[in-house]
Amino acid sequence: MAMRNPYSRRELIQRAFGGLGTLGLSAVLGSGQSQAAALGHYGGQRTPGRAKRVISLFLAGGPSQVDLFDPKPLLKKFQGQRPGGTDLRTERQTGGLMPSPFEFNKRGVSEILPKLGGVIDDLCVIRSMYSFNPTHTPSVSLYHTGSILLNRPSMGSWISYGLGSENQNLPSFVALSSNGSATRSGFLPAEHQGTPVNHTEPDPEKMIPNLRNSHLDPAKQRRQLDAVQALNKTFNNSFGADDFLDGRIQSMEAAYRMQFEAMDVFDIRKESAATRAMYGENQSGNGCLLARRLVEKGVRYVNVGLGDWDDHKDIEKAYQKKIPAMDQAAAALIQDLKQRGMLDDTIVLWGGEFGRTPVSESGTGRDHNPYGFTMWVAGGGFQGGIAHGATDDFGFKAVEDRVSIHDLHATMLYTLGLDHTQLTYRYAGRDFRLTDVFGDVVKGILA
Amino acid sequence: MLRYWLIAVLLCSGLWAQTPDASLFETKIRPVMAAKCYACHSSKLKAPMGGLVLDTKAGLAAGGSGGPVIAAGKPKESRLLTAMRFTDPHLQMPPTGKLPETVIADFEAWITVGAPDPRAAAPANEATSALKGMSIEAGKKWWAFQPIAELPAPPVKNKSWARNKIDPFVLAKLEAKRFTPAPTADKRTLVRRAYIDLVGFKPTYEEVEAFASDPAPDAWAKLIDKLQAMPRYGERWGRHWMDVARFGEDNPTSEATNQPYLYAWRYRDWIIEAVNRDVPYDRFVKMQLAADLMPDTSREDRRALGYLGAAPIYHKDQRLSADVIGGFMTDDWDERVDTVSRGLLAMTVACARCHDHKFDPIPTKDYYGLAGVFASTMRTEQPLFEVEPGVEQRYLWVQRRLIDLRYSVSLLTGEASTVVDSESRVARWKVEIEELRKEMVTLREKNPKLVASIERYWTPPPPRPANATAAQARRRQSPTSTEPFMNSVYDAAQFVNGSDPQYTFIDYKPGEPRDLPVLRNGNVATPGEIVPRHFLTVLSKGDSRFQKGSGRLELAEKIFTDAAPLAARVMVNRVWDWHFGRPLAPTPSDFGIQGEKPTHPELLTDLAARFVANGWSLKWLNREIMTSAAYQQASKPRPELVKADPTNALFWRMSPRRMDIESYRDTLLRASGRLNYTMAGPSEDVEAATNVRRTVYGRISRGRLSPVLKNYDFPDPMQSAGGRDLTTTSLQQLFVLNSTFFFDSAAAISKVVGNLPTEATRMRELYRRLLSRDPSPQELDLALSFLANGTLEQYAQVLLATNEEILWP
Repeated sequence: MAMRNPYSRRELIQRAFGGLGTLGLSAVLGSGQSQAAALGHYGGQRTPGRAKRVISLFLAGGPSQVDLFDPKPLLKKFQGQRPGGTDLRTERQTGGLMPSPFEFNKRGVSEILPKLGGVIDDLCVIRSMYSFNPTHTPSVSLYHTGSILLNRPSMGSWISYGLGSENQNLPSFVALSSNGSATRSGFLPAEHQGTPVNHTEPDPEKMIPNLRNSHLDPAKQRRQLDAVQALNKTFNNSFGADDFLDGRIQSMEAAYRMQFEAMDVFDIRKESAATRAMYGENQSGNGCLLARRLVEKGVRYVNVGLGDWDDHKDIEKAYQKKIPAMDQAAAALIQDLKQRGMLDDTIVLWGGEFGRTPVSESGTGRDHNPYGFTMWVAGGGFQGGIAHGATDDFGFKAVEDRVSIHDLHATMLYTLGLDHTQLTYRYAGRDFRLTDVFGDVVKGILA
Repeated sequence: MLRYWLIAVLLCSGLWAQTPDASLFETKIRPVMAAKCYACHSSKLKAPMGGLVLDTKAGLAAGGSGGPVIAAGKPKESRLLTAMRFTDPHLQMPPTGKLPETVIADFEAWITVGAPDPRAAAPANEATSALKGMSIEAGKKWWAFQPIAELPAPPVKNKSWARNKIDPFVLAKLEAKRFTPAPTADKRTLVRRAYIDLVGFKPTYEEVEAFASDPAPDAWAKLIDKLQAMPRYGERWGRHWMDVARFGEDNPTSEATNQPYLYAWRYRDWIIEAVNRDVPYDRFVKMQLAADLMPDTSREDRRALGYLGAAPIYHKDQRLSADVIGGFMTDDWDERVDTVSRGLLAMTVACARCHDHKFDPIPTKDYYGLAGVFASTMRTEQPLFEVEPGVEQRYLWVQRRLIDLRYSVSLLTGEASTVVDSESRVARWKVEIEELRKEMVTLREKNPKLVASIERYWTPPPPRPANATAAQARRRQSPTSTEPFMNSVYDAAQFVNGSDPQYTFIDYKPGEPRDLPVLRNGNVATPGEIVPRHFLTVLSKGDSRFQKGSGRLELAEKIFTDAAPLAARVMVNRVWDWHFGRPLAPTPSDFGIQGEKPTHPELLTDLAARFVANGWSLKWLNREIMTSAAYQQASKPRPELVKADPTNALFWRMSPRRMDIESYRDTLLRASGRLNYTMAGPSEDVEAATNVRRTVYGRISRGRLSPVLKNYDFPDPMQSAGGRDLTTTSLQQLFVLNSTFFFDSAAAISKVVGNLPTEATRMRELYRRLLSRDPSPQELDLALSFLANGTLEQYAQVLLATNEEILWP
């Protein structure tokens, strides 16, 4: 392909390696955050919601509502029995009712959650969640994507698609230690998929593949990139204005900046010792702290995997071991966001793909329970300090003010300013929605 | 008069009560039913839940499939009230939760006074206004279903531009808008375009120059022939088809009942071979649907059945109820209906699963008529070698049964303490395994490989690994095998066996077909009328029923007889898209009312007709498209036309594109001299540093798709892809700037050119190898001044990272 060069030789070299080049480019491209907003694809009517971002704390496997947020004193009375209404079929065979080994306070919070009990005035506890399937994979999919079919986009992708990114230097949707349905973009464009980040190691370089250049220091890399961009500009000029060619120059610059911004943002070691201690220096604490750092810098949606909650046996022992870290981390997140004035426009969601049975499995554990379970939401326009809905006398099935996953999704979108019936994407012959053909906004739980 | 009337009213207490109760109904009952019940119980629905309709007087009086819901004057016998009270665990309404006690009290009062319903007897007028799709009759006139025939080329003003019959159709549209076509691209651009297009990588410097210096008038045609004759052609065009066939080698989860497909790679190899042989498209598709039922096929051809045999399926935990398992099975069949109908016919039949299609002429019955074909088709691991038919039939059944039994034994063995009778169940299953083992062992002498393949199902499983890491390592073991088997299908009906209320099996009945009932709202718990397996009504000529076995072969045949015009249009449109980066009908997998109509309907029709006339030959179609003037246009933008037609819908130029990930990766490997051309065989991890084979041989996991593929818009292998959206993101550029793949490529190429004598010759060679051209003097100066403070290797990466490198010109 013939190349015509609009610059003199000297100019070209200067632009590539001198200050001019860098300056010229950054003036053209602007900084990451200045390109914010207006990138979303939502074309519907804005709802009054004012939330801007979401942190979803996902307790894979399903935490037990009757041990955490849904006290059922009758379980003691009917211990070991199967009174009427408790014959719901779950995945495995189960025995009689098993009371919680934990005491509950007046607000209905288990003694094993002292820290979350301390921020209960900020939590909107939904005790009447229900789902449709007792198996992990389909239910996890339903939780994140509104469908048990494993090909639909996740809530994070929908929100990224609808609202766009607030920081072009970072992915708009990050999934910490979570994968599969939690990150799926399905038929939505790939840029809206959750970027999976394993935060087991605190070093950002180990979290994000290809984040750092292992061969060149930043100055040398900048020089190399300037050479690339100089050739690109020459090529583009000879080719003519083209969105793809121009866009790729910009995304190269964004990637270059991402290296440093992400190295900074993803590094929780930059937090004070006090802050790190507040969250707890463990996987849960690090995940929640990292989520806060990310949303602070404009990441739209962060999903944090908070470990495995599939306790088919020895649930008491398991909870004594793993609850303190989760309790501390989640409560610290609420406090920290509040302190920074971010809780009002940040939604924090807490829950698993289903709950657990009030009847025992193996005598010491609990089986999956999609009929009724607890989730909570904080901030972002949700009403704090309330408990919404109720399960039956034993905590098995949601009976009052039942809230489906679709209702929850619809309500979250509403608080983000999106009408769930209008956030659509045309694919395979119809307009798809996160809520499929379901979902009612639960206005009663909004502030 | 008035007095008599009053007396009459007072004497007849029932009537006396009517006036206040009518208002009770209108103020307290009807609004609640409208808000809480009509969504599922309305005469406007094609299949109201439980057959119950509450928005008409007649419906309320008649009740649902379970009988009356109201016993006038008897609240305790009224099931409506029972449901509202939430006292019966199996009868609770509305499903969104119990209504307030005051509302329930209103209903009780209303029923106590006789449940008066003041509504007019006839259904409300709006009942007829339910959203209805196009009728079959109207559908038969829809553009996409019309017969195809060669059309006369439209008249054009510019008589000299056209090179073949495609061009007048394109030019006429351009001239109507007063657009002029772009000049022919220069030869060096054309040769790049052709290489990427036909073989999936850029040409070398020598290949570019060979074409550029060939003055023969038929140089272009010769180039096309040469490229189509390379085995690389099948790797390129086979991959296009794999997008449509949602090729994948496992399931989104790999659990006991949906394990990875160990032989899916053989299906991929079959596709590549078939495309290289230019197997006519109709036969190509028929073999993927029914190679086992076609008389003139070899056993090796059954690798084609990976289309169905390695399709995504869901795990079925057999402890779940028959309804839940049945639901998963219908999801599996739905996947097949969707892939076949959108992929081959651009019809969104899956939209008709829960209700008649809201737009297109597809009744729900047609959906279940097709789904029955897949309910009568069972996936299997079939031997690549010949086996006596009777033995094979039995083997296929035993294989599946053993998988289920072994899974069941291991599932319940750990749960003995809580499962009612689990021990006796396990014991029973072990006996059955033993019986099957004995039966199979008798076949061993004559069929050693066959029997060896299922020994693992009666051998006790190895002990669970001691720690989680070991378990993970075992799971990550390469889920692929070179044993002589293939993932295929055979005719066997699938039924949920719910006879044991605690444990659900799936029964497989070889050789038996199964007609499905229409499932109201797609729900297995509400089966309706059984529909015979049949082809889509709107496309059928004459009898649409399938009568032979599962009906797979008849389905395949119908697609290429009754529906041939549509099938040809769909494929021609896809091929056009793969050449131009923009299809003629903008929604390649939806030719329905919701899809977008073609920009050039006559061209699509004419080309489809000629495609069929030329024996459904893909290579013919490539050649016809590429020898058009339209294809050979330059891709440079012209500002006024970019403004007037930004998406190039009228093809006033060739659309410049970014290369897809396969071409990009393969080009970089080839340019750096690392590409290993070994064809066929098991897949390897795309990201492994040691994997330098073509990307088409990379592993395609539905559960863990390679992040590099994902970042470059590789389509989700869970669903048939109608085309790729090519995005440009910063995560892609991190791969370019910092990945081992790029460093390795740069290192390899600089090693090759590093032996040349001077910096200038080294740099010129670098340009030739990476961009297939010589540098301009300015570029050479730029490069040399870079070398003053940088290395050849770094500059190799500069060139690899350029826009020019990734552009498909």
